[in-house]
Amino acid sequence: MNAGPQGPADERAVAPDVHRIEPVMGTVVVVDIYTGGDPVPADVYRRLARARAVLHRADAVFSTWKRESPVSRLRRGEVSLEETPPDVREVLELCASARDATGGWFDPWAMPGGVDPTGYVKGWAAQKALDALVGSGVTGALVNAAGDIACSGSPSPGGPWRIAVADPSSRAGIVAVAEVTRSIATSGTYERGAHLVDPRTGLAGTRVASATVTGPDLGRADALATALAVGGDEVLPLVGGLEGYEGLTVQRDGTWSATPAFPFAAGGTPDEVARLLAGG
Amino acid sequence: MRRTPIVLAATAAGLAGVLGFHTKPAKVAVGVSPAGTTGAAATGGTAAGSSTGSGATRAPAPATTAPARSSSAGRRSATGTRSATGSVVNYNYGLMSVKVTASGTKITSVTIATLDDGGNSLSQSIDQQSIPLLEQQAVRAQSASIQGVSGASYTSAGFVQSLQFALSKLGIK
Repeated sequence: MNAGPQGPADERAVAPDVHRIEPVMGTVVVVDIYTGGDPVPADVYRRLARARAVLHRADAVFSTWKRESPVSRLRRGEVSLEETPPDVREVLELCASARDATGGWFDPWAMPGGVDPTGYVKGWAAQKALDALVGSGVTGALVNAAGDIACSGSPSPGGPWRIAVADPSSRAGIVAVAEVTRSIATSGTYERGAHLVDPRTGLAGTRVASATVTGPDLGRADALATALAVGGDEVLPLVGGLEGYEGLTVQRDGTWSATPAFPFAAGGTPDEVARLLAGG
Repeated sequence: MRRTPIVLAATAAGLAGVLGFHTKPAKVAVGVSPAGTTGAAATGGTAAGSSTGSGATRAPAPATTAPARSSSAGRRSATGTRSATGSVVNYNYGLMSVKVTASGTKITSVTIATLDDGGNSLSQSIDQQSIPLLEQQAVRAQSASIQGVSGASYTSAGFVQSLQFALSKLGIK
Protein backbone atom coordinates (compact mmCIF):
# COMPACT_ATOMS: atom_id res chain seq x y z
CA MET A 1 0.00 0.00 0.00
CA ASN A 2 0.97 3.58 -0.38
CA ALA A 3 2.73 2.52 -3.55
CA GLY A 4 5.20 5.21 -4.35
CA PRO A 5 4.92 7.06 -7.63
CA GLN A 6 1.36 7.61 -8.51
CA GLY A 7 0.20 6.31 -11.79
CA PRO A 8 -2.89 5.47 -13.71
CA ALA A 9 -4.62 2.16 -13.30
CA ASP A 10 -1.88 -0.32 -14.02
CA GLU A 11 -0.75 -3.77 -13.10
CA ARG A 12 -0.91 -2.80 -9.42
CA ALA A 13 -4.63 -2.25 -9.55
CA VAL A 14 -6.37 -4.60 -7.19
CA ALA A 15 -9.75 -4.84 -8.85
CA PRO A 16 -10.32 -8.26 -10.33
CA ASP A 17 -10.93 -8.67 -14.04
CA VAL A 18 -14.03 -10.72 -13.37
CA HIS A 19 -16.06 -10.06 -10.25
CA ARG A 20 -19.22 -11.95 -9.52
CA ILE A 21 -21.48 -11.91 -6.50
CA GLU A 22 -23.46 -15.10 -6.40
CA PRO A 23 -26.41 -15.49 -4.02
CA VAL A 24 -26.28 -19.14 -3.02
CA MET A 25 -26.20 -21.34 0.08
CA GLY A 26 -28.10 -18.78 2.09
CA THR A 27 -25.49 -16.12 1.66
CA VAL A 28 -23.46 -14.41 -0.99
CA VAL A 29 -20.38 -15.93 -2.55
CA VAL A 30 -17.92 -13.58 -4.21
CA VAL A 31 -15.85 -14.88 -7.10
CA ASP A 32 -12.91 -12.76 -8.20
CA ILE A 33 -10.72 -13.69 -11.15
CA TYR A 34 -7.49 -11.94 -12.11
CA THR A 35 -6.05 -12.38 -15.58
CA GLY A 36 -2.96 -10.23 -15.31
CA GLY A 37 -4.48 -7.43 -17.33
CA ASP A 38 -5.01 -9.51 -20.42
CA PRO A 39 -8.43 -9.72 -22.01
CA VAL A 40 -10.47 -12.35 -20.27
CA PRO A 41 -10.43 -15.51 -22.40
CA ALA A 42 -13.77 -17.13 -23.11
CA ASP A 43 -12.55 -20.27 -21.42
CA VAL A 44 -12.40 -18.39 -18.13
CA TYR A 45 -16.12 -17.73 -18.36
CA ARG A 46 -16.76 -21.38 -19.04
CA ARG A 47 -14.86 -22.24 -15.88
CA LEU A 48 -16.75 -19.55 -13.99
CA ALA A 49 -19.99 -21.22 -15.08
CA ARG A 50 -18.68 -24.54 -13.77
CA ALA A 51 -17.71 -22.94 -10.48
CA ARG A 52 -21.19 -21.46 -10.11
CA ALA A 53 -22.69 -24.85 -10.85
CA VAL A 54 -20.55 -26.38 -8.11
CA LEU A 55 -21.94 -23.90 -5.60
CA HIS A 56 -25.55 -24.36 -6.61
CA ARG A 57 -25.26 -28.12 -6.65
CA ALA A 58 -23.81 -28.06 -3.14
CA ASP A 59 -26.75 -25.92 -2.08
CA ALA A 60 -29.26 -28.31 -3.66
CA VAL A 61 -27.68 -31.42 -2.15
CA PHE A 62 -26.67 -30.23 1.30
CA SER A 63 -29.16 -27.55 2.30
CA THR A 64 -30.86 -28.34 5.57
CA TRP A 65 -33.40 -25.63 4.72
CA LYS A 66 -34.55 -27.23 1.51
CA ARG A 67 -36.99 -29.87 2.64
CA GLU A 68 -36.36 -32.20 -0.25
CA SER A 69 -32.59 -31.93 -0.38
CA PRO A 70 -30.79 -35.27 -0.04
CA VAL A 71 -29.29 -34.19 3.28
CA SER A 72 -32.67 -33.11 4.65
CA ARG A 73 -34.10 -36.48 3.65
CA LEU A 74 -31.13 -38.25 5.22
CA ARG A 75 -31.66 -36.34 8.45
CA ARG A 76 -35.30 -37.39 8.52
CA GLY A 77 -34.32 -40.98 7.92
CA GLU A 78 -36.17 -41.14 4.61
CA VAL A 79 -33.08 -42.29 2.74
CA SER A 80 -30.00 -44.20 3.77
CA LEU A 81 -26.52 -42.83 3.31
CA GLU A 82 -26.04 -45.25 0.43
CA GLU A 83 -29.02 -43.68 -1.34
CA THR A 84 -27.59 -40.17 -1.19
CA PRO A 85 -25.39 -38.68 -3.92
CA PRO A 86 -21.67 -39.52 -3.72
CA ASP A 87 -20.97 -35.91 -2.68
CA VAL A 88 -22.73 -36.55 0.62
CA ARG A 89 -20.62 -39.57 1.45
CA GLU A 90 -17.46 -37.71 0.45
CA VAL A 91 -18.28 -34.78 2.72
CA LEU A 92 -19.23 -36.99 5.64
CA GLU A 93 -15.94 -38.85 5.33
CA LEU A 94 -14.12 -35.50 5.37
CA CYS A 95 -16.20 -34.47 8.38
CA ALA A 96 -15.23 -37.65 10.20
CA SER A 97 -11.59 -36.93 9.49
CA ALA A 98 -11.96 -33.39 10.82
CA ARG A 99 -13.80 -34.68 13.89
CA ASP A 100 -10.92 -37.03 14.63
CA ALA A 101 -8.30 -34.35 13.98
CA THR A 102 -10.00 -31.96 16.41
CA GLY A 103 -10.58 -34.42 19.21
CA GLY A 104 -14.33 -34.10 18.66
CA TRP A 105 -14.54 -30.32 18.90
CA PHE A 106 -15.90 -30.38 15.37
CA ASP A 107 -18.65 -32.98 15.27
CA PRO A 108 -21.52 -32.84 12.76
CA TRP A 109 -22.98 -35.95 14.38
CA ALA A 110 -23.52 -34.10 17.65
CA MET A 111 -25.71 -31.41 16.14
CA PRO A 112 -29.37 -31.11 17.11
CA GLY A 113 -31.67 -32.76 14.62
CA GLY A 114 -29.26 -35.34 13.32
CA VAL A 115 -26.04 -35.30 11.36
CA ASP A 116 -25.48 -31.83 9.96
CA PRO A 117 -22.44 -31.28 7.73
CA THR A 118 -23.33 -27.62 7.18
CA GLY A 119 -20.21 -26.53 9.03
CA TYR A 120 -18.07 -28.23 6.44
CA VAL A 121 -20.06 -27.76 3.27
CA LYS A 122 -19.66 -24.04 2.67
CA GLY A 123 -15.89 -24.20 2.74
CA TRP A 124 -15.82 -27.46 0.83
CA ALA A 125 -18.03 -26.05 -1.91
CA ALA A 126 -16.07 -22.82 -2.13
CA GLN A 127 -12.85 -24.81 -2.42
CA LYS A 128 -14.34 -26.95 -5.19
CA ALA A 129 -15.55 -23.82 -6.96
CA LEU A 130 -12.07 -22.34 -6.76
CA ASP A 131 -10.53 -25.52 -8.08
CA ALA A 132 -12.92 -25.32 -11.04
CA LEU A 133 -11.70 -21.81 -11.84
CA VAL A 134 -8.00 -22.48 -11.95
CA GLY A 135 -6.52 -22.87 -15.41
CA SER A 136 -4.82 -21.08 -18.26
CA GLY A 137 -5.49 -17.38 -18.47
CA VAL A 138 -6.08 -17.07 -14.74
CA THR A 139 -3.26 -15.54 -12.72
CA GLY A 140 -5.27 -15.39 -9.55
CA ALA A 141 -8.66 -16.47 -8.33
CA LEU A 142 -10.54 -16.09 -5.09
CA VAL A 143 -13.82 -17.49 -3.84
CA ASN A 144 -15.21 -15.76 -0.76
CA ALA A 145 -18.13 -17.64 0.75
CA ALA A 146 -19.43 -15.21 3.33
CA GLY A 147 -16.03 -14.63 4.84
CA ASP A 148 -14.57 -18.10 4.29
CA ILE A 149 -12.08 -17.63 1.50
CA ALA A 150 -10.23 -19.94 -0.89
CA CYS A 151 -7.64 -18.47 -3.21
CA SER A 152 -5.09 -19.49 -5.78
CA GLY A 153 -2.31 -17.74 -7.64
CA SER A 154 -1.90 -14.05 -6.89
CA PRO A 155 -3.97 -10.87 -7.21
CA SER A 156 -1.04 -8.95 -8.63
CA PRO A 157 2.36 -10.02 -9.98
CA GLY A 158 4.23 -11.50 -7.09
CA GLY A 159 1.84 -10.02 -4.59
CA PRO A 160 0.25 -12.05 -1.83
CA TRP A 161 -3.41 -12.31 -1.03
CA ARG A 162 -3.98 -10.03 1.92
CA ILE A 163 -7.09 -10.96 3.84
CA ALA A 164 -8.31 -9.02 6.84
CA VAL A 165 -9.86 -10.81 9.79
CA ALA A 166 -13.12 -9.30 10.97
CA ASP A 167 -13.23 -7.86 14.47
CA PRO A 168 -15.60 -10.03 16.51
CA SER A 169 -16.49 -7.04 18.68
CA SER A 170 -17.47 -4.70 15.90
CA ARG A 171 -19.73 -5.12 12.94
CA ALA A 172 -17.40 -3.20 10.71
CA GLY A 173 -13.94 -3.49 12.15
CA ILE A 174 -10.91 -5.58 11.36
CA VAL A 175 -8.64 -7.14 13.94
CA ALA A 176 -5.74 -8.56 11.91
CA VAL A 177 -4.44 -8.97 8.37
CA ALA A 178 -3.14 -12.29 7.08
CA GLU A 179 -1.20 -13.25 3.98
CA VAL A 180 -3.04 -16.21 2.58
CA THR A 181 -1.85 -18.63 -0.08
CA ARG A 182 -4.68 -21.17 -0.12
CA SER A 183 -7.53 -20.58 2.31
CA ILE A 184 -8.74 -18.82 5.44
CA ALA A 185 -11.88 -19.41 7.48
CA THR A 186 -13.26 -17.58 10.50
CA SER A 187 -15.95 -18.79 12.88
CA GLY A 188 -17.82 -17.20 15.69
CA THR A 189 -17.74 -13.60 14.62
CA TYR A 190 -20.17 -10.82 15.24
CA GLU A 191 -22.27 -11.38 12.16
CA ARG A 192 -22.68 -15.13 12.46
CA GLY A 193 -21.73 -15.80 16.04
CA ALA A 194 -24.79 -17.44 17.44
CA HIS A 195 -24.92 -20.57 15.35
CA LEU A 196 -22.10 -22.65 16.79
CA VAL A 197 -22.94 -25.60 18.99
CA ASP A 198 -20.61 -27.21 21.50
CA PRO A 199 -20.64 -30.93 20.63
CA ARG A 200 -19.77 -31.78 24.24
CA THR A 201 -22.82 -30.06 25.70
CA GLY A 202 -25.21 -29.70 22.76
CA LEU A 203 -25.57 -26.04 23.67
CA ALA A 204 -24.82 -22.98 21.60
CA GLY A 205 -21.71 -21.18 22.63
CA THR A 206 -18.04 -20.52 22.00
CA ARG A 207 -15.01 -20.15 24.22
CA VAL A 208 -13.49 -17.38 22.14
CA ALA A 209 -15.13 -14.51 20.28
CA SER A 210 -13.72 -15.61 16.97
CA ALA A 211 -11.39 -18.22 15.58
CA THR A 212 -9.52 -18.09 12.30
CA VAL A 213 -7.71 -20.90 10.52
CA THR A 214 -5.48 -20.75 7.45
CA GLY A 215 -4.42 -23.78 5.48
CA PRO A 216 -4.36 -25.71 2.22
CA ASP A 217 -8.05 -26.67 2.05
CA LEU A 218 -10.98 -24.41 2.89
CA GLY A 219 -13.38 -27.19 3.86
CA ARG A 220 -10.98 -28.43 6.49
CA ALA A 221 -10.04 -24.90 7.53
CA ASP A 222 -13.73 -24.14 8.02
CA ALA A 223 -14.16 -27.19 10.24
CA LEU A 224 -11.01 -26.39 12.20
CA ALA A 225 -12.15 -22.80 12.73
CA THR A 226 -15.44 -24.09 14.10
CA ALA A 227 -13.61 -26.45 16.46
CA LEU A 228 -11.29 -23.66 17.54
CA ALA A 229 -14.15 -21.25 18.22
CA VAL A 230 -16.06 -23.80 20.24
CA GLY A 231 -13.10 -25.36 22.06
CA GLY A 232 -11.02 -22.24 22.53
CA ASP A 233 -7.32 -21.98 23.00
CA GLU A 234 -6.88 -25.60 24.04
CA VAL A 235 -7.59 -26.49 20.39
CA LEU A 236 -4.82 -24.22 19.06
CA PRO A 237 -2.07 -26.84 19.43
CA LEU A 238 -4.25 -29.38 17.62
CA VAL A 239 -4.66 -26.97 14.70
CA GLY A 240 -0.99 -26.05 14.65
CA GLY A 241 -0.07 -29.71 14.65
CA LEU A 242 -1.87 -30.31 11.35
CA GLU A 243 0.42 -29.96 8.37
CA GLY A 244 -0.06 -26.55 6.74
CA TYR A 245 -2.72 -25.24 9.15
CA GLU A 246 -2.41 -22.30 11.53
CA GLY A 247 -4.88 -20.76 13.94
CA LEU A 248 -5.75 -17.43 15.57
CA THR A 249 -8.23 -16.79 18.37
CA VAL A 250 -9.55 -13.41 19.45
CA GLN A 251 -11.37 -12.70 22.68
CA ARG A 252 -14.04 -10.08 23.00
CA ASP A 253 -11.70 -7.90 25.05
CA GLY A 254 -9.20 -7.90 22.20
CA THR A 255 -6.68 -10.34 23.65
CA TRP A 256 -5.58 -12.99 21.20
CA SER A 257 -3.57 -16.14 20.73
CA ALA A 258 -2.09 -17.70 17.63
CA THR A 259 -0.05 -20.67 16.55
CA PRO A 260 3.62 -19.70 16.16
CA ALA A 261 3.58 -19.70 12.36
CA PHE A 262 0.27 -17.92 11.78
CA PRO A 263 0.80 -15.95 8.54
CA PHE A 264 0.23 -12.38 9.69
CA ALA A 265 0.90 -9.82 6.98
CA ALA A 266 3.56 -7.23 7.75
CA GLY A 267 2.00 -4.94 10.33
CA GLY A 268 -1.01 -7.20 10.49
CA THR A 269 -0.90 -8.65 14.00
CA PRO A 270 -3.82 -7.70 16.24
CA ASP A 271 -1.55 -5.47 18.31
CA GLU A 272 -0.27 -3.64 15.26
CA VAL A 273 -3.71 -3.27 13.72
CA ALA A 274 -5.09 -1.97 17.01
CA ARG A 275 -2.32 0.63 17.18
CA LEU A 276 -2.93 1.65 13.59
CA LEU A 277 -6.65 2.00 14.09
CA ALA A 278 -6.13 3.92 17.31
CA GLY A 279 -4.55 6.61 15.20
CA GLY A 280 -0.93 5.58 15.30
CA MET B 1 -27.80 -12.04 26.23
CA ARG B 2 -25.42 -9.85 24.40
CA ARG B 3 -27.05 -10.19 21.03
CA THR B 4 -29.19 -7.41 19.76
CA PRO B 5 -31.98 -7.61 17.24
CA ILE B 6 -29.46 -6.34 14.72
CA VAL B 7 -27.33 -9.41 15.20
CA LEU B 8 -30.38 -11.54 14.84
CA ALA B 9 -31.17 -9.88 11.59
CA ALA B 10 -27.79 -10.78 10.22
CA THR B 11 -28.04 -14.34 11.43
CA ALA B 12 -31.53 -14.86 10.15
CA ALA B 13 -30.67 -13.31 6.83
CA GLY B 14 -27.72 -15.58 6.51
CA LEU B 15 -29.85 -18.61 7.08
CA ALA B 16 -32.65 -17.66 4.78
CA GLY B 17 -31.03 -19.28 1.84
CA VAL B 18 -33.92 -21.24 0.55
CA LEU B 19 -35.45 -18.33 -1.24
CA GLY B 20 -35.42 -18.19 -4.97
CA PHE B 21 -32.88 -15.92 -6.55
CA HIS B 22 -32.12 -14.81 -10.02
CA THR B 23 -29.08 -13.11 -11.32
CA LYS B 24 -28.30 -11.32 -14.50
CA PRO B 25 -26.13 -13.02 -17.10
CA ALA B 26 -23.71 -10.13 -17.16
CA LYS B 27 -19.98 -10.23 -16.73
CA VAL B 28 -20.46 -8.46 -13.44
CA ALA B 29 -23.67 -9.14 -11.67
CA VAL B 30 -25.07 -8.10 -8.36
CA GLY B 31 -27.57 -10.60 -7.13
CA VAL B 32 -30.75 -10.22 -5.26
CA SER B 33 -30.41 -9.30 -1.65
CA PRO B 34 -30.22 -12.50 0.38
CA ALA B 35 -33.13 -11.39 2.47
CA GLY B 36 -34.92 -8.25 3.40
CA THR B 37 -34.41 -7.22 6.98
CA THR B 38 -38.06 -6.55 7.56
CA GLY B 39 -38.88 -10.14 8.32
CA ALA B 40 -36.03 -10.42 10.75
CA ALA B 41 -37.15 -7.34 12.58
CA ALA B 42 -40.61 -8.77 12.85
CA THR B 43 -39.36 -11.88 14.56
CA GLY B 44 -38.63 -9.80 17.61
CA GLY B 45 -35.74 -9.52 19.91
CA THR B 46 -35.19 -12.93 21.36
CA ALA B 47 -32.14 -14.85 20.33
CA ALA B 48 -33.60 -18.19 21.27
CA GLY B 49 -33.14 -20.80 18.64
CA SER B 50 -30.60 -18.83 16.72
CA SER B 51 -28.15 -21.65 17.07
CA THR B 52 -29.75 -23.52 14.26
CA GLY B 53 -32.17 -21.26 12.61
CA SER B 54 -34.57 -18.56 13.47
CA GLY B 55 -34.84 -17.70 9.82
CA ALA B 56 -37.25 -20.39 8.72
CA THR B 57 -40.37 -18.33 8.49
CA ARG B 58 -39.16 -15.45 6.51
CA ALA B 59 -40.84 -13.51 3.79
CA PRO B 60 -39.27 -13.57 0.36
CA ALA B 61 -36.73 -10.92 -0.34
CA PRO B 62 -37.65 -8.06 -2.59
CA ALA B 63 -36.29 -8.71 -6.04
CA THR B 64 -33.88 -5.88 -6.28
CA THR B 65 -31.10 -5.74 -8.78
CA ALA B 66 -28.76 -3.02 -9.76
CA PRO B 67 -26.15 -2.38 -12.39
CA ALA B 68 -22.83 -3.40 -11.00
CA ARG B 69 -20.33 -1.05 -12.52
CA SER B 70 -21.53 2.49 -12.33
CA SER B 71 -18.51 3.48 -14.27
CA SER B 72 -17.67 7.01 -13.50
CA ALA B 73 -14.07 7.57 -14.31
CA GLY B 74 -11.72 8.90 -11.73
CA ARG B 75 -11.64 12.66 -11.64
CA ARG B 76 -8.56 14.70 -11.03
CA SER B 77 -8.65 18.24 -9.77
CA ALA B 78 -5.95 20.84 -10.15
CA THR B 79 -4.80 20.23 -6.60
CA GLY B 80 -3.90 16.60 -7.16
CA THR B 81 -6.87 15.42 -5.20
CA ARG B 82 -8.81 12.80 -7.06
CA SER B 83 -11.98 10.94 -6.43
CA ALA B 84 -13.81 7.99 -7.87
CA THR B 85 -16.95 6.08 -7.09
CA GLY B 86 -16.96 2.31 -6.97
CA SER B 87 -19.59 -0.03 -8.23
CA VAL B 88 -22.94 -0.39 -6.61
CA VAL B 89 -22.76 -3.51 -4.49
CA ASN B 90 -25.18 -5.49 -2.45
CA TYR B 91 -24.36 -5.14 1.22
CA ASN B 92 -27.15 -7.27 2.60
CA TYR B 93 -29.27 -4.42 3.87
CA GLY B 94 -29.54 -2.84 0.47
CA LEU B 95 -27.33 -1.50 -2.23
CA MET B 96 -24.55 0.97 -1.86
CA SER B 97 -21.54 2.43 -3.58
CA VAL B 98 -18.44 3.94 -2.10
CA LYS B 99 -16.67 7.15 -3.09
CA VAL B 100 -12.97 7.48 -2.46
CA THR B 101 -10.96 10.66 -2.47
CA ALA B 102 -7.20 10.44 -2.60
CA SER B 103 -4.24 12.73 -2.66
CA GLY B 104 -1.61 10.99 -4.69
CA THR B 105 -1.91 7.42 -3.57
CA LYS B 106 -3.07 8.26 -0.07
CA ILE B 107 -6.72 7.82 0.72
CA THR B 108 -8.03 10.96 2.36
CA SER B 109 -11.69 10.14 2.62
CA VAL B 110 -14.09 7.34 2.00
CA THR B 111 -17.77 8.10 1.90
CA ILE B 112 -20.95 6.39 0.89
CA ALA B 113 -21.91 7.73 -2.53
CA THR B 114 -25.22 5.99 -2.88
CA LEU B 115 -27.23 3.99 -0.44
CA ASP B 116 -30.54 2.30 -1.03
CA ASP B 117 -31.80 0.41 1.97
CA GLY B 118 -35.44 0.57 1.00
CA GLY B 119 -36.20 2.95 3.84
CA ASN B 120 -36.11 0.15 6.36
CA SER B 121 -35.65 1.57 9.83
CA LEU B 122 -33.67 -1.39 11.12
CA SER B 123 -31.23 -1.22 8.27
CA GLN B 124 -30.92 2.53 8.73
CA SER B 125 -29.89 2.03 12.32
CA ILE B 126 -27.31 -0.49 11.15
CA ASP B 127 -26.08 1.94 8.55
CA GLN B 128 -25.62 4.60 11.16
CA GLN B 129 -23.57 2.27 13.28
CA SER B 130 -21.47 0.53 10.75
CA ILE B 131 -20.77 2.88 7.93
CA PRO B 132 -18.85 5.52 9.88
CA LEU B 133 -16.71 2.73 11.30
CA LEU B 134 -16.05 1.34 7.87
CA GLU B 135 -15.11 4.74 6.55
CA GLN B 136 -12.79 5.37 9.44
CA GLN B 137 -11.06 2.07 9.22
CA ALA B 138 -10.63 2.13 5.49
CA VAL B 139 -8.83 5.43 5.71
CA ARG B 140 -6.70 4.54 8.68
CA ALA B 141 -5.74 1.07 7.60
CA GLN B 142 -5.54 1.97 3.91
CA SER B 143 -7.40 -1.27 3.67
CA ALA B 144 -7.76 -1.13 -0.06
CA SER B 145 -4.81 -3.44 -0.27
CA ILE B 146 -6.80 -6.34 1.07
CA GLN B 147 -8.72 -8.68 -1.17
CA GLY B 148 -11.28 -9.81 1.34
CA VAL B 149 -12.35 -9.98 4.96
CA SER B 150 -12.52 -13.36 6.66
CA GLY B 151 -15.45 -13.62 9.02
CA ALA B 152 -17.29 -10.64 7.62
CA SER B 153 -20.31 -12.07 5.93
CA TYR B 154 -22.00 -9.11 4.48
CA THR B 155 -21.56 -5.49 5.23
CA SER B 156 -17.82 -5.23 5.22
CA ALA B 157 -17.49 -7.44 2.20
CA GLY B 158 -19.81 -5.29 0.15
CA PHE B 159 -18.10 -2.15 1.29
CA VAL B 160 -14.66 -3.45 0.49
CA GLN B 161 -15.74 -4.57 -2.95
CA SER B 162 -17.05 -1.19 -3.93
CA LEU B 163 -14.03 0.42 -2.33
CA GLN B 164 -11.74 -1.71 -4.43
CA PHE B 165 -13.43 -0.68 -7.64
CA ALA B 166 -13.17 2.95 -6.69
CA LEU B 167 -9.50 2.61 -5.85
CA SER B 168 -8.80 0.74 -9.02
CA LYS B 169 -10.18 3.65 -10.97
CA LEU B 170 -7.73 5.87 -9.14
CA GLY B 171 -4.87 3.49 -9.80
CA ILE B 172 -4.25 2.96 -6.12
CA LYS B 173 -3.10 -0.39 -5.02
